[in-house]
Amino acid sequence: MVRTPLPLILLAALAACQKDPIEVRVVPKEDASAAALAPSSRPRGVRWTAPAGWKEEAGNGMRVATLTPPQTAGKAEVTVIALPGDVGGELANVNRWRGQLALPPVGMADLPAARAAIKTKLGSLFVYDFTGTGASKTRLVAGMIQVSGTMWFFKLMGDEKAVAAAKPAFLKLLKGLKSDAA
Amino acid sequence: MRPNDAPLHRVTGFLSSMKLTLVCLALLMILVIACTLLQVPLGTHLAVERTIRSFLVWWTPDWSPVQIPIFPGGGLVGGVLLLNLLFAQFLKLERSRRKAGLWLAHLGLALLFVGEFATALLQVESQMPVQVGQTRDYSEDTRLMELAVVDATDPAKDVVTTIPQSRLRPGAVIETPSLPFKIAVKRWYENADLGMRKPNDPASEANAGIGAGLSVREADIVTSDDAQNSAAALIEPVEGGQSLGAYWVSNALGAPQGFAREGRTWRLTLRPRRYYLPFSVTLKEFKHDIYPGTDIPKNFSSLVRLNDPAAGEDRDALIYMNHPLRYGGKTFYQASFGQNDQLSVFQVVRNPGWLIPYLSCIMVGLGLLLHFGVKLSSSLKRIS
Repeated sequence: MVRTPLPLILLAALAACQKDPIEVRVVPKEDASAAALAPSSRPRGVRWTAPAGWKEEAGNGMRVATLTPPQTAGKAEVTVIALPGDVGGELANVNRWRGQLALPPVGMADLPAARAAIKTKLGSLFVYDFTGTGASKTRLVAGMIQVSGTMWFFKLMGDEKAVAAAKPAFLKLLKGLKSDAA
Repeated sequence: MRPNDAPLHRVTGFLSSMKLTLVCLALLMILVIACTLLQVPLGTHLAVERTIRSFLVWWTPDWSPVQIPIFPGGGLVGGVLLLNLLFAQFLKLERSRRKAGLWLAHLGLALLFVGEFATALLQVESQMPVQVGQTRDYSEDTRLMELAVVDATDPAKDVVTTIPQSRLRPGAVIETPSLPFKIAVKRWYENADLGMRKPNDPASEANAGIGAGLSVREADIVTSDDAQNSAAALIEPVEGGQSLGAYWVSNALGAPQGFAREGRTWRLTLRPRRYYLPFSVTLKEFKHDIYPGTDIPKNFSSLVRLNDPAAGEDRDALIYMNHPLRYGGKTFYQASFGQNDQLSVFQVVRNPGWLIPYLSCIMVGLGLLLHFGVKLSSSLKRIS
């Protein structure tokens, strides 16, 4: 790169004098100020209401939240994940979900038949429902919606019977999605 | 005039000429127009940085990595204009009481240029989002990242080592006394696409933490005002030559990742750069007033509690449009809001030279008043 005029050299020298240092600081526990972290670190844009009787916990990492329905019919949980961008697009994510159930991938032409659209205040949300094979079947009901450049994934996954029992409440949760912005 | 003085006179004559003034003013007008137009593709911040707050405007052709200077930047034009102003003033302007007003006005203008250079070099802008009822003692710069390595072993406090983005260069090995391990930087992407790894994707370069299940690809940097880069770094803590795991860290991943080692708990997170304050701000109330019967905003205001135990300061302050809070060398402007009016966002500006433009405007105003006063007085005397 050819950028060597004198003023820039002088600026660079000044910048070198002010080179960002590595800093060490003792602060109150991050956990104690978790609320303080929330506005900037947690993705914004989507709000939901947990169904009655479901337990909701704050997420970890890219998982924004975990919701647990009553476990009477078996084990199942809902994960809410938010990632920037289109995260590979619809087909890639559908096949990722199918991969989690050891199902073969589908093509773009198969998507319209595999999905159901739900209207929310944030726009249409596509929901997919896949059941794995084998003796103890795992089922997955998942929806994805892009809001302000962030892709939100809502996935109910678990024992087939437990997912079937939780699905109506899960779909109601999806229908009730709304913006958390003013 | 002696012959060997001629070159010097030519230089001083050029530097003090009105032609140079006009050329500089024309260049500044072109720069302002270019900056305005470039704000569409580049966003306000980058457009200003590349045109107004640079010495040269650079262009990188598609066919070459070499950057070519194509126009003088605001820094260069402003510097020449400052020199022009000073040379003209000291070489051409008559030193008399009659011209005192012009001297004051010119010095005020020169001070305005100095103030802009001070702002360009010293101003730091950041943001502070605060929820109602929440207390914060730091602001964040979302355009710059830092790697925070947190020793979270103590149940009462965290010891945070922050490594600025400028040091997160591929191949760098970061060693600092506060950490018992080195941190090797394998990759650094200023913007990245992060997604769940698909079945056919190659294995992740990370073997620990969330990143092991992610695909991370470098993406074009976004610069528009409403977009934020998802920076990502592949880092590997190493102790005694032994790897403690390779982690993808990113501001898009939110919560920190971590590991335990020798009885100590460590957390790693890439986050917007934080500027800690020696005082705290608590948001007591946020008001979003609208005109009755409409959705048209009338006023945004934040009632905050300012607490600075060291200075014995503990008081309320109201921040609203065009009425910032100035304290401790920082200015807090009402910038944005969200979360159903439960979140207020302040723009926090540290600018040691913030008073200079006010001072220069006063000098120019007084200088012009004085000059025209003298002119009026002499005209009235002539008439009478």
